[in-house]
Amino acid sequence: MLKPEGLSSILYLMQKKSLYPQDYNPEESIAALATPWGESALAIIRLSGLDSLKLLSGIFSRDGEIVEAAGNTLHYGRITAPDTEELIDEVMIAVYRAPKSYTGEESAEIFCHGNPAVIKRLIGVLADSGFRYALPGEFTLRAFMNGKLDLTRAEAVNELIRARTDRARALALNRLSGAIEGKIREIRDGLAGMLAGIEVWLDYPEEELEGENDLIHEAEGWALEIEKLLSTYSIGKIVQEGLVAAIAGRTNAGKSTLFNRLLKEERAIVSEFHGTTRDYLEGYISIEGIPFKLIDTAGLRDTGDPLEAEGVRRADMIIRNSDLLLYLVDGSLGLAAEDRELISTYHDNRKLIPVWSKSDISTAGTPEGFIALSAVDGTGIAALSKEMVNRTAGNLSSSTEERVIDSLRQKELLERAFSSLEDVKKSLQDEVYLDLIAVDLKESLDALGEITGEVTSVDILNRMFKDFCVGK
Amino acid sequence: MDFEGIVIGGGHAGIEAALALSRLDFSCLLITQNLDCIGKMSCNPAIGGLAKGNVVREIDALGGQMAKLIDQSLIQFRILNRSKGPAVQAPRAQADKALYSQLAKWTLEREGGLSLFQDTVVDLLLTNSGREVCGVITERGRRFTAPNVVLTTGTFMEADIFIGEFTASSGRLGEPAAVGLGSALRKLGFEVGRLKTGTPARALASSLHPERMREQPGEDEIIPFSFANTKVQRPRVSCYITHTNEKTHRIIRDNIHRSPLYGGKIQGVGPRYCPSIEDKVVRFPDKASHQIFVEPEGLNTDEVYLNGISSSLPEEVQEEFLRTVPGLEDLVIMRPGYAVEYDYLDPLQLYPSLESKKIKGLFIAGQTNGTSGYEEAAAQGLLAGINAALKLQGREPLILSRAEAYIGVLIDDLVTLGTREPYRLFTSRAEYRLSLRHDTADLRLLEKGYDVGLQSVEARDGLLQKKREIEEIKELLDKRKVQEMDVEKVTELKIHQGKSLSRALKDPKVRMSDLVSLDKGLAAKNRDWLYQSELDIKYAGYIKRQERQVDRFRRMENMRLPADLEYSRVIGLSTEAVEKLNKVKPLSMGQAGRISGVRSSDIAVLLVHLAKND
Repeated sequence: MLKPEGLSSILYLMQKKSLYPQDYNPEESIAALATPWGESALAIIRLSGLDSLKLLSGIFSRDGEIVEAAGNTLHYGRITAPDTEELIDEVMIAVYRAPKSYTGEESAEIFCHGNPAVIKRLIGVLADSGFRYALPGEFTLRAFMNGKLDLTRAEAVNELIRARTDRARALALNRLSGAIEGKIREIRDGLAGMLAGIEVWLDYPEEELEGENDLIHEAEGWALEIEKLLSTYSIGKIVQEGLVAAIAGRTNAGKSTLFNRLLKEERAIVSEFHGTTRDYLEGYISIEGIPFKLIDTAGLRDTGDPLEAEGVRRADMIIRNSDLLLYLVDGSLGLAAEDRELISTYHDNRKLIPVWSKSDISTAGTPEGFIALSAVDGTGIAALSKEMVNRTAGNLSSSTEERVIDSLRQKELLERAFSSLEDVKKSLQDEVYLDLIAVDLKESLDALGEITGEVTSVDILNRMFKDFCVGK
Repeated sequence: MDFEGIVIGGGHAGIEAALALSRLDFSCLLITQNLDCIGKMSCNPAIGGLAKGNVVREIDALGGQMAKLIDQSLIQFRILNRSKGPAVQAPRAQADKALYSQLAKWTLEREGGLSLFQDTVVDLLLTNSGREVCGVITERGRRFTAPNVVLTTGTFMEADIFIGEFTASSGRLGEPAAVGLGSALRKLGFEVGRLKTGTPARALASSLHPERMREQPGEDEIIPFSFANTKVQRPRVSCYITHTNEKTHRIIRDNIHRSPLYGGKIQGVGPRYCPSIEDKVVRFPDKASHQIFVEPEGLNTDEVYLNGISSSLPEEVQEEFLRTVPGLEDLVIMRPGYAVEYDYLDPLQLYPSLESKKIKGLFIAGQTNGTSGYEEAAAQGLLAGINAALKLQGREPLILSRAEAYIGVLIDDLVTLGTREPYRLFTSRAEYRLSLRHDTADLRLLEKGYDVGLQSVEARDGLLQKKREIEEIKELLDKRKVQEMDVEKVTELKIHQGKSLSRALKDPKVRMSDLVSLDKGLAAKNRDWLYQSELDIKYAGYIKRQERQVDRFRRMENMRLPADLEYSRVIGLSTEAVEKLNKVKPLSMGQAGRISGVRSSDIAVLLVHLAKND
C-alpha cells in the first residue's frame, strides 16, 4: 500500500521538481538530513545508492567494517575529512543492505550530534566523497522504483498528475526568478551558439567559415557568468538555513529580550557562538513555515574600547549580510541621533523593520512605520512576526532585481555546467581535438538545460543553419 | 505467389533491398522504370563524407553492396577532418558515375534468384482484408504477386521538375515521373507530403579554365570503404575550387522573381543544409562569395558537376551568373540545374523495421521516406531488405540502436520524429558519435551481418582475429614500461619513464607511430589495428564517460512497449501525448521519450502504467 506521504512525495517530485521515475539512477548515491535542521541532541543523515557504503567507508574510521557489514547492524566510529584528516564528529552508523532497506538499495544512516555546524560540515564531506544532496522525496521515489511501495493506488497518482502535469514544468521553472531564468537562458543560448559553431565546423569540413570564433575567450566569458550566478548562492540558501534576521539597536534597546521572546513564542533552538571579542547568539525559528535564523547582535555604539569596537564592527557585518533587520529603538528614550543615522542608511532597503520597543513604558507615541512592541507583555509580537513573513514574501518574489540562486539543485547543476566549461577551456588551451571538446560543451549545456529546458541536437542543427551559410 | 519479395525502384535503396532479399535465398523481382538508370547518381558524383562515409562502412559491415561499388568506381579519395578529431573523420570519394551505375546493374544481374524488369508500378495489390500487401500492378497492366514489397521510389513519385518558367513531370531531367502510385497510396490513407531538392548545372570540362581555379587533388593512399578489400587501385583525378562574387550575386538577385522557389511555384520544403545558390544569396546577403567545387563526373566523359551552386533559375540566367565566376568565364552548360518536387511518405507511418504500420508486408525505404543522400537511401534499403527477409523467415527484425550505428540514428530519427524537410545525417545527430568511428563499423556490426546471413564465416573469423589482435596490442602496451633507452629515441617519453606505454600514449604529444619503433612486437602488428588501439587508449576517458551515458540510454531502450498499446486507455497521459504515441507506436520507452510532444511526465505515467500491469 502506498502510504499517503509516499504518494505526495512522488507527486511533489514530479510536479515541483520535474524529477521523474526515469531520472532514477541507482549509481548516483544520495544523502539528506532526515531530522529537522537545527540544534538538537541527535541528527540523522540518510544515505542511499549502489556505492553508498563504499563511499561512506572512505571517510569513516573503521572503513573496512562498513563495507563488510551485514544488514541492520550498528557501527561506532569517527568521520574525518578525507583531505585534511580533520575530525568532524563521532557517530553511529546503521547499515542496511539491499534489498532490505527503505529504498531497496544499499543504504546507511549516520547518527551524529545535532549541531548545525557539525551537520553542515558532515554533509559537505559527504558531497566531497561523491554523494549528491537528495531532492525532497527522492528516497521515496527510489523506494517506489524498487518496488518497495505498492502501486495499487497508481491510478490515483495518474489522476492527480493529469490535472497538473502540463503546468508542472512551468511551475518548476517559476521557482526561478525571472531575472535568473533570463540569465541562465542567456548563458545556455551562448553555449548553444558555441556548440553550433563547433558542430558546423565538424560537419562541414570543406566550408570556408567566416570569422572563426575565439572559443577560449567565449568559454571564459560564459564560465565567468556562471561563476557570478553561483556566488549568489551563499546569500540565497534560504531554504536550507533560513533567512537571516538580525536584531540590532543601541545598547539596552531590548534586543536580547526580544530575541528570547521570539524564541519562546515560536519553535526555537538557541546556540551560543563564542567570538573572540564578544559573544553573540543565534537561534532558529519557524514562522508560518518559513525558517529564520535570528541573530542577536552586540549593541551599536561608538566606543573607545577596542574590544567592544570589534564587537560593533562584527555586528555591522552581520547586519549587512542579513536578510532582515529588526532595528530596535528604545521607546522610553526616543529616537537618538545614531538611530536616525542607521535607519536612514537602511531606509530604502526592504529589509529594515523599525521596532519601537518597551512600548509599555514609552511616554511618546509610536512614530509612523514603527511596530510598537513590548517584549514583557507580548504586545506587538504577532504584528512583528506577520511583518517578517510579509517582507520575506517580498524577498522571495520574482520582483527582486537581484539574481539569487536559492535551490541546491540549481546550484549543483550550475556547478556541473561550470566544471564542464572549465574542462572545455582547458582542452581548448591544450588544443585537444574539437570532437572531444564538444563532449564537454554538450555536458555543460545539458546541465543548464536541466534548469531551463533541454537543448536537443535538432536545436543545435537549427542554430547551425540559421547562423552559418553552409552546404554544397 | 510469383515471388517472395518485390522491390520497386532501382536506386541506391532498391539495389541494397533486392540484393539482401536474394542473398538470403528469397526469390525477388526488382521493377524499375529504366534499367539503364540503376544506381544512378542523380546529384553529386561522390559517395561518403561526414557521417555518410561511416554509413557506407556500416552498410558494408552488415553485408551490403555500396562500399564495394564505390571501391571499384572511385576516381578520387580523401579523408575529411583529419585535423579535427578521430570521431569526425570520414572517407569521401569522387565516383565515376557511369561506371558505378554499370557495376550496380551488373551486380544485380549476376545475383541468382533476382529478376530485373523494366516497367512502372502504379498500384499495390492488397489481400481481401486490405491490411496486407500481396503484389503490384504496373503501368502496362502487369500484375506480380509477392507477400513482401519494398517501396523505393526516390524522387520519382508524382515528381515535377522546375527550371525558371519551365516545368515538366519528371523525376530526373529527361526521365518521366512515376505517376499514379502516389495517388494510389493517398487513397490507401497514407500521409503523403511534398519535398523539394535541387541540383546544379553540368558543364563541359574543356570549356573551363582550370588554371584560374584552385586544384584539389585526392590523397595518395586509398583506404577501402569495404572491410573485405585490403587494397584499392584506381586512377585519380582532381577537383577544382572557385568562388562566386558580387557580380554573380547581383545577377541572381536581379532575377530572383523568375525563380520557381521564390515565385511561389514550389510548395515543397527544401533542405536547409544544402541550399540553392538563390537561397544562399537571399538568406546570407552579407557573404561576399560562395565556394564552387568543380567535380568530374567520370573518366570517360568530359561532363563536370558544379557542386555548391544548385539553382532553378532560367537557363540563360544560370549561364549568365556562372560566367562571372573565375575559371567559368567561357563555360558551356551541358545540362542546366533544376529543382525537383516530389511526394514522400511521412516516415512516422513506419515501424523501426521500416515496415508500414498500416499495411503488413509493405516496407518503405530511401528518399520516399523524406531522406536525401545516396548513403542514407542505401542504408534504409539494406535494412528494409533484411527485415523483409527476416519476416519471411519468421525472425525478429533487425533494429540498430542509436548507440551502435549511424544507421540506427537515421532510422530512429525518421520513425520517431518524422521529417518535414529532406533529412540528412550529421555527426551532431549522434549522441554517441565517439563510438561510431568509420574504422570501427566492422567491430560494431559485422557479427550482426553474420547473424542475419549476409556475412560469410571467413569474414566473421577475420573480425574475431582482428579483435584478438587489438587486445594483444593493448596488453603489450600495458605491460611494456618506458625505459631509459626509449627516451633517447623518443624524447617526448622522458616524463613517462617507468610508466607503461599505454599510460604514455594518453599524452597528446606521444603517438603510436613513435612507440612502434621501440618494440618489435608492436612493429609486427597491422597498422590499422595499431591506429585503432591508439584511438581507444587516447580517448578512453571520453569514451568511458560516453559509455556511462549509453548505459543509461540502454535502460530506457530495453524497456519494451507493445506495438498495439492503446494509449488513450492509459490514464494520465496528456492529450498531445496520446495522439503522438498512437501515431508513432514506439517499441521502447526510450523511443517514446524522444517523440516531440511527449513529456517527461508522460513517460512517468507510462512507467507507472507498465509497472502496474507487469
